[in-house]
Amino acid sequence: MVDEQTIKEAIKAIVDHDEAKAIEITKKFIEAGNNSLEIMTEGFIPGIGEVGDQFGRGLLFLPGLVQSADVMKKVTALVNEALPEKQLEKPGVVVIGTVKGDIHDIGKGIVVALLRANGLVVHDIGRDVDTEKFIEEAVKVEADVIGTSTLLTTTMGHQKDLEKELKKAGLRDKFKTIVGGAPVTGRWAAKIGADAYAEDAQDSVVKIKELIG
Amino acid sequence: MATILTRYGDGTMLTMSEKELMQDLEAGTQDAAERGNIPALSKEELAHLFDIFSLPYNFVSVEPGNEVVLTYDAGTLKIRRVGVNVDRIQALQIYEKIMGADTMELCHVDYSFKPIKPIVTMEQPILEQALLSTHVPLFYGAMPNLGTYTQPDGPFPNPSELMPMGDIEGARASYDATVEEAVKDIVYAARAMHASGADGINLDTVGAAGEADFKASLMAADILKKEFPEICIELGMAGEFILGMHGEMEWEGIRLAGMYPHEQVKLAEKAGVTIFGPVVNTNTSESSPWNLSRAITFMKACCDVATIPIHVNMGMGVGAVTVNDHPPVDVVSRASKAMVEICRLDGL
Ligand code: B12
Repeated sequence: MVDEQTIKEAIKAIVDHDEAKAIEITKKFIEAGNNSLEIMTEGFIPGIGEVGDQFGRGLLFLPGLVQSADVMKKVTALVNEALPEKQLEKPGVVVIGTVKGDIHDIGKGIVVALLRANGLVVHDIGRDVDTEKFIEEAVKVEADVIGTSTLLTTTMGHQKDLEKELKKAGLRDKFKTIVGGAPVTGRWAAKIGADAYAEDAQDSVVKIKELIG
Repeated sequence: MATILTRYGDGTMLTMSEKELMQDLEAGTQDAAERGNIPALSKEELAHLFDIFSLPYNFVSVEPGNEVVLTYDAGTLKIRRVGVNVDRIQALQIYEKIMGADTMELCHVDYSFKPIKPIVTMEQPILEQALLSTHVPLFYGAMPNLGTYTQPDGPFPNPSELMPMGDIEGARASYDATVEEAVKDIVYAARAMHASGADGINLDTVGAAGEADFKASLMAADILKKEFPEICIELGMAGEFILGMHGEMEWEGIRLAGMYPHEQVKLAEKAGVTIFGPVVNTNTSESSPWNLSRAITFMKACCDVATIPIHVNMGMGVGAVTVNDHPPVDVVSRASKAMVEICRLDGL
C-alpha cells in the first residue's frame, strides 16, 4: 500500500518535473521493502496522466511535458531495477506516423511525446507515409500497435487502406491499430475496422495501454 | 416527447431527446467554462440554444436588422479546392456578386508569407486588378506559418527534433529565431500590398505553430500600425488556445502559451489589430449542441471584453461547424444564428 501523502508527493514531483524529489520518493519507497510497481501505478502514472491532461487544457507546455517525461524515464529505470525478473514488464511498442498525402504532424508529435513519457517504445516514422511503410516498419520492430494520424478528410481513406493491406498480407491479427487526428472519430474507427480511436494525447495513452492489455 | 434531429461534429446524423439535448448543451458550456476559466452560459442563453436546435427547419436565420458582416478568408483558394476552376479574380467576383460576401481576401495557393516575399511584385498587379473589378473591401492575406522557417523547410534547427532529445534551450532559441525572420517577411509583403491599395491585411491561422506564430503576428501588426496608422489588420486564429511549444515566450512581458480567445484579443488590441477572428475547434466525437454551446461560451467571453470588432471563425471544423468539405446547412445556419444572437459579435 502506498500512503496518501506519498501518492500526492509522487504526482507533484512528476507534474513539477522535480527529478531529485521523484528519485528520493522512489528510493525511500523501495528501501522500506515495498513492491516498487505500486509507487509507479499509484503515484507516477497518475502524475504523468495529470501532465497530459494539463497539456490538453493549455495549462502546461511542451518543454514541461518533455521534462516530466524525462523524470518519468529516470524513475521507471529505478522501479524496474528493483523488480524481480518475472515482474519486469516488456514495454509496448508502437509505430506511428501521419498517412500518405498529409503533412500535419503537430498533434502526432504531442501524442508521441506523451506515449514515450508513459514508458512505451515509439517508432515515429514521420509524415506523408505510405501505407506499406507502416506495415514494413511494424514487422521490422515487432510492434504491438500501429497508430495513424490524419488531419485531412481527403486522406482519411488511407487509414482504411491500412486495414485492407494488413488483411491482404495476412498480418491483421499480428498488430492492433489505432486511429487519430481531428476529423477522425470512434464511429470512423468502427466503420473501417480499426481497433481503437483516441481523441487526444492523454486518451491515446489510455487506449493504447488497453490495446496492449 | 419531441425528438431533435442534429449531428455529430463529423456530420453524422443523430437524434436526441429534449432531455439529452439540454444535457449536451449544459456539458458543452461547462467544458468551456472550466478550460477557459470563464462564466458558463446562463439558463436563458441555454434555453435560447435549446430553441434554436428545436426549430423544425433545415435552414434557420436571424431577424431582419440583425444581420452581420460575412467575411471570407482564403476564398480564392477554397473555391479551387472544391474543383471550381476559375482564376482568382473570378473567384472574388463569384463570392461578391453571387454569394453576397461583404469582404473578401485575395491569396496565393502557397498561402504563407515566406513564399509570398519573392513573388510579391507578381501578386501586386493581381491585387490591383482585383480591386478594380470588385466593390467589397479586399484583404490580401496569408499564414505566418512559422513552420516554414525550420528544417527541412527553412534555415533553423527543427524544434520538434531538438525537444525530444532534451535540448529545450536549443528548441527555444530556434523558435525565437523564426519569429524575427517571420516578422520581416510579413511586414515586407504587407507593406507592398498596402502600397497597392489593399483594404486590409489578413494574417490567417495565427498560432498554428505555437506561441512563435502568435508573437510574430503581434509584432508585425504593431510595426505596420505604427507605420500606417490607418491600415486595417485582421488576425484570424488557428485554434482555441495558444499551443505552448516554447513555454516561456512573451510579448510585452506577457506569456503567450495557453491563452484563450478572451485573453488573446487583449493582446491583439494592444498590437493595433483592427479585426480579431477567434477560433474554437469542433470536437468530431461530440454532438453539434455540445460543440455549439461550448464554442459560444468561449466566443461570448471574448466578445464581452473586446473593444475591436470580432469576426468569429465559422467553417469546416471550427466554430461548431462540422468537419466536412461541404458543411451541412442545418449546422452552419444554427451555429451562425446562435453566435450572432448570443455573442453580439460583429461578423462571421
Ligand atoms: C497547423 C495546420 C497546418 C500546418 C501544419 C504544420 C504541421 N507541421 O503540422 C500547415 C500550414 C503546414 C498546414 C497545411 C495544410 N492544411 Co492545415 N491546418 C492546420 C490547423 C490550423 C491546426 C492543426 C493542428 O496542428 N492542430 C493542433 C493539434 C494538437 O491537434 P490535432 O492535430 O488534432 O492532434 C490531436 C488529436 O487529433 C490526437 N491525434 C493526432 N494524431 C493522432 C494519431 C493517433 C494515432 C492518435 C491515437 C491520436 C492522434 O491527439 C493530438 C493531441 O491532442 C488546422 C485547423 C484547425 N484549427 O484545426 C488546419 C487544417 C487541418 N488544414 C487544412 C488544410 C486544407 C490544409 C492544406 C491542404 C492547406 C492548403 N495548402 O490548401 C495543407 C495540407 C498539406 C498536406 N498535404 O497535408 C484543413 C483540412 C480540411 C480538410 N479537408 O480536411 C484544416 C481543418 C483547416 C481548414 N478548416 O481549412 N496546415
